[in-house]
Amino acid sequence: MSPATPGGSEVSALVRRVTQEKILRYAEASGDFNPIHVDEEYARRSPFEGTIAHGMLLLAYISSMMTDAFGQRWLSGGRLKVRFKAPARPGDVVTASARPLHASAADQGPAGGGRLEFAVECSNERGETLVTGTAAVSGGEGSETA
Amino acid sequence: MAEQPDLDIRHLAKGYEFPSFHVALDPDGVRRYLEAVEDASKVYYRDAPTSRQDCLPALAPPLGAVALVLKALLDQLKLPEAAVHTAQELEFRRALAAGAHLACRARVAQRSELRGAVISVIEFEIAEEGGESAPAVLGRTTIMAAQDSPGRSQS
Repeated sequence: MSPATPGGSEVSALVRRVTQEKILRYAEASGDFNPIHVDEEYARRSPFEGTIAHGMLLLAYISSMMTDAFGQRWLSGGRLKVRFKAPARPGDVVTASARPLHASAADQGPAGGGRLEFAVECSNERGETLVTGTAAVSGGEGSETA
Repeated sequence: MAEQPDLDIRHLAKGYEFPSFHVALDPDGVRRYLEAVEDASKVYYRDAPTSRQDCLPALAPPLGAVALVLKALLDQLKLPEAAVHTAQELEFRRALAAGAHLACRARVAQRSELRGAVISVIEFEIAEEGGESAPAVLGRTTIMAAQDSPGRSQS
């Protein structure tokens, strides 16, 4: 279910299954070949006991969710502040979600020139929180979506 | 074989400024990034020339640019094996063009020690070369590294 914001905009949750193939594809796109992500033998001997997804991949899911909701407004006026709580592993189904906190400027939301703020998180199918924090999007004239 | 960096993040004092560095975004790399993160938003393609609207984006997702900048930044460092990216703050002030050349600056904003670990906060700014000189993206990356862990260079 998509939570409605005080300003009337909605942010739909985004669900992605993490696989080792997707982790490798992200490593190639970002250039981050840290062995904890891509070397299964190395990762098995690490405290994680297996490969884990890049934290920045999970942030990309949050950013995609915000882009879907706010379009270019997010690209040029978004703010994100998160902590990484636990890793995502191959096979995990990650859900990025946003819960409205409040809107400034008399709850006008981005369309009215205010600022919308959300609690955001990524969690897995076992209900474990992987990433938690806040996201905000600043206003301007007119709402623009992806 | 690439030269191993000898700048250990645990030894960088608060206020240390990294040499400025540059990162190039190319539309094809941006497209591969969008595929990798399964971001199908049309907003990145909206202003692309009609002839390439179905293949190459005009705008870059900010997280894609940040990922490349962090890679370039951390390539300058020797990171301990157990170094962990624990927190991230980002502020997007302007959208970045998919073909932009980025000028980047970074410094150690905070350094603290806690129970055998060094916690470093690195602040960075990303500006588009040839565009407005004010940063398009601001960021703060927190990395925690065990004091006694052996070093491992990035990538």
